[in-house]
Amino acid sequence: MSEAVDTSGEHELDLGWMDEKGPWNTKAEESRYGLTLADIQIGEYGETPDVSDNLTGRPRGSAPRPGSYRIGNYAVRTKNEIWLDNASFLYEEALQRQWSSATDVPWHTIEPLPDDIEQAECQLATFFTEVEFVAGDVPARWVSETTPDFFEARQVLLAQVMDESRHMDVFRKRAMANGGGLMQATGATSGFVGSIDLSRDFTEMSSRLHLSGEGAVLTMFRMGELMAQNEAEKAMYRLCAQDEARHVAFGVMHMRYMSAAAPERREEIHCYLDEAEGQIVSGVGNPAARGGPVGESLAILLGGGKDKFDEGMNMLTAIRRRQFREYKKRIVSAGFGERFENGRSRLMEMFEEAA
Amino acid sequence: MAKFPSVRWFDAVREVFNGDESVQGGGGGYCNCVAGMKVGKDIFVLTFEGVECTDAVKADDAALDDVDFYLDMPPADWREMIANIHTNNGADRHHTLNTLDLEREDGLATSHHGDQYREDLFFRYNQTFQYFFNASARIRTDF
Amino acid sequence: MAKSSKASKVRKARKAPAASAKPSAASDPAIAATPTLVSSQAQGKADSGQPEKLEPVLDWMNKTRQWGMRVKPGKAGLRLGDLNVGIYGEIPMQWSDQSRNPRGAVPRKGMPPVGYSVREKVGMWADSAADLYEEAIQRRWAPATDVPWNTIDKLPDDIERAICQVCTELSQFANVEIETIAGWQHQMVYGYHEVKQYLATASFDAAKHYECFRKRALVNGGGLGVEGPGQVNRMILESSGGWSATVAYLVLVRAVFTMTILKYLARHAYNDAERFIYEHVLQDKARLLTYGLDHLHFAVAHDDEQPAVLATVLAIGDRVLTRDLRDPALREALAIIFGRGIRGARRQGMETYEEMMADFMQTHLGYCRWLGIARAPAEAMPPPLNRHAGASVAA
Repeated sequence: MSEAVDTSGEHELDLGWMDEKGPWNTKAEESRYGLTLADIQIGEYGETPDVSDNLTGRPRGSAPRPGSYRIGNYAVRTKNEIWLDNASFLYEEALQRQWSSATDVPWHTIEPLPDDIEQAECQLATFFTEVEFVAGDVPARWVSETTPDFFEARQVLLAQVMDESRHMDVFRKRAMANGGGLMQATGATSGFVGSIDLSRDFTEMSSRLHLSGEGAVLTMFRMGELMAQNEAEKAMYRLCAQDEARHVAFGVMHMRYMSAAAPERREEIHCYLDEAEGQIVSGVGNPAARGGPVGESLAILLGGGKDKFDEGMNMLTAIRRRQFREYKKRIVSAGFGERFENGRSRLMEMFEEAA
Repeated sequence: MAKFPSVRWFDAVREVFNGDESVQGGGGGYCNCVAGMKVGKDIFVLTFEGVECTDAVKADDAALDDVDFYLDMPPADWREMIANIHTNNGADRHHTLNTLDLEREDGLATSHHGDQYREDLFFRYNQTFQYFFNASARIRTDF
Repeated sequence: MAKSSKASKVRKARKAPAASAKPSAASDPAIAATPTLVSSQAQGKADSGQPEKLEPVLDWMNKTRQWGMRVKPGKAGLRLGDLNVGIYGEIPMQWSDQSRNPRGAVPRKGMPPVGYSVREKVGMWADSAADLYEEAIQRRWAPATDVPWNTIDKLPDDIERAICQVCTELSQFANVEIETIAGWQHQMVYGYHEVKQYLATASFDAAKHYECFRKRALVNGGGLGVEGPGQVNRMILESSGGWSATVAYLVLVRAVFTMTILKYLARHAYNDAERFIYEHVLQDKARLLTYGLDHLHFAVAHDDEQPAVLATVLAIGDRVLTRDLRDPALREALAIIFGRGIRGARRQGMETYEEMMADFMQTHLGYCRWLGIARAPAEAMPPPLNRHAGASVAA
């Protein structure tokens, strides 16, 4: 047999692209939690620019193509606008702690309830169905406007969109699982100035959504677990609260990073907090505020019936105090605690007024 | 038979919890934190890493400075919770950790450092902690 | 246990007999004109520092459009689609409500609009969306822990470089999917929540794909390659005229192309980790494909103009795709993988690549035929698509 190689029918290859590459000889190692995002933040691949010039959407660390079109519509290209130090950790945690509203909630434990209790539960479920997707819609929009150079933060937000979708779904399921139905929407997430929807800056949005809004909703989910009438509701609220706590953690850690990396924005952020405290936290924008469909539903559920409304309202007030305390401590943890020392925050004063 | 509270008891629960893959889904999963358990004057520190509870040690009050949060109840209340879990093969709806936390004037979960981000881990991993204590239904407890 | 008296009362009260309120099956939903936020402000406050006793208003009670729903879980649990009963299953062709009023709830008048641009069922709907949503949740996986990363051994330099190039481009494909879906989600009305919910799983899937291809590139002594040429990326991102046109590009062109690549990569995987990745991304993508086909089918069936519009959109897409295909990086990298090295790439690898492209075109054109979207004959397509389309016709 001839040793000659038959090259007829062979394709010519260019292979010039083989020299165009990012840093080479990279060998990420698995940690005890598998191969996590943190494990691949090695060498130059772990370096995040303070300001991203990536307008083509290339993966961070890949070799750029000089002829590429600038197709990235990225409003967020400055790291301190969106970054948080534990994004990789939160993302992996979110992936691992997913659950299913179809199969992880023991729906068979639901039994008929007194009408006033069922109505209160359904009103609450209607409200949660309504608000949960603002927390899905808005992060999604910001993901689409954030450079992939900060993909770790984007991944967490995408996990949040998934979580919120599940929350919207689980409350719709609850409303229709026990002889009730949906009730009246509250309109709480409409497009008014200062709302989560209309924020034109990511940090402004995050302060409203993650810290103020979801911090408040976290407390409500915990209340939901407390006043649950059956194991299904227990599970539903507990699992939602876990997710919500992760979203709150995003807000705290982003604010902490922002506070350290962009001190020139601290006053601006205090202004967002002023506004949020007057609306979402202590004001009537707080879904757990006294009065209104949601507050009254909570009072009925906490009291154990329409005839125990006053007891329920007293419990609601007590839990709101804890909600305020937790909010305050989160703001301290985020690095903006001086507002509670220098008299800027009227939080407790507003709470007493609202209570 | 393990006596509550003791390292032996927590180790026995850890063994059941760590060996049960079903608690790694359904809202369980990665849990990374150090949690204190204050049973009257007795203090224990549990370490959660990944999907496991990797360590349980007896400690003193100073150790609570370093934990992310700790659960604080009088011994009688701990006993009631654990007995309830044993009777119902898992906490009934009046004895879940979250319910106990909200029903108590000062809460169940607290910390020395006061950092809410770290205290929030109690909420973030709540289902895992519930799975952990529910696992105690599968060991024999002596008080 | 030393429990608070309040808590004990709660439990005691829960055993009380049913209250009398009974919601009516509303023909008149009794729409409130005053938003909650204002009405609650009217509640008084204490002048002594103690909370004033608040009389319940309870005007929200009995406001429902349909009461008495008792949807039971089936073998697969309580699924989103199970809820589509009674008025809750009525899905109108137009959804003019610009708030986040859940479908079937009593709306509240006077709310400032959120501002959605996709408000017609024909613009986003797919009957399969609810099922795909539940399926995505049940079939979730985690790259960190489910991929057997320890099965990856050192590979020859040319093969590692090729795999890293493919992973770089697939990661970039996933990025475009993320930005596209996330950019549209918030523009879609609430009335078709099943689609929004499915798309939440799709963008989360894409995040996972972005992550796992990056991980593969960085785990075995290689790194990322050069970014892709990006013409199709640009086309998908810039298709802002309507979600259906975006779906045509994102699914009929990009997803079918990616899925074909993944099928061939799975067949030529060098280890279990890569096989796992390709197969699992493929099944995620199959859900996107199902949604896309289902939606386009609905759009074509309910909008007479749609087949012609989509035909034009795809004809433009052919030319754009052609420009991407002229770039050697992805083509040659795949050939190296299929040919098990540069030497094998020149013949066997490129033959497999050609076979793959014919497979892609055959699949793509088959879907177009099924949807009733007229495509140009193979000979009228720009090269190299004409060759692949011709081959597919012959096949």
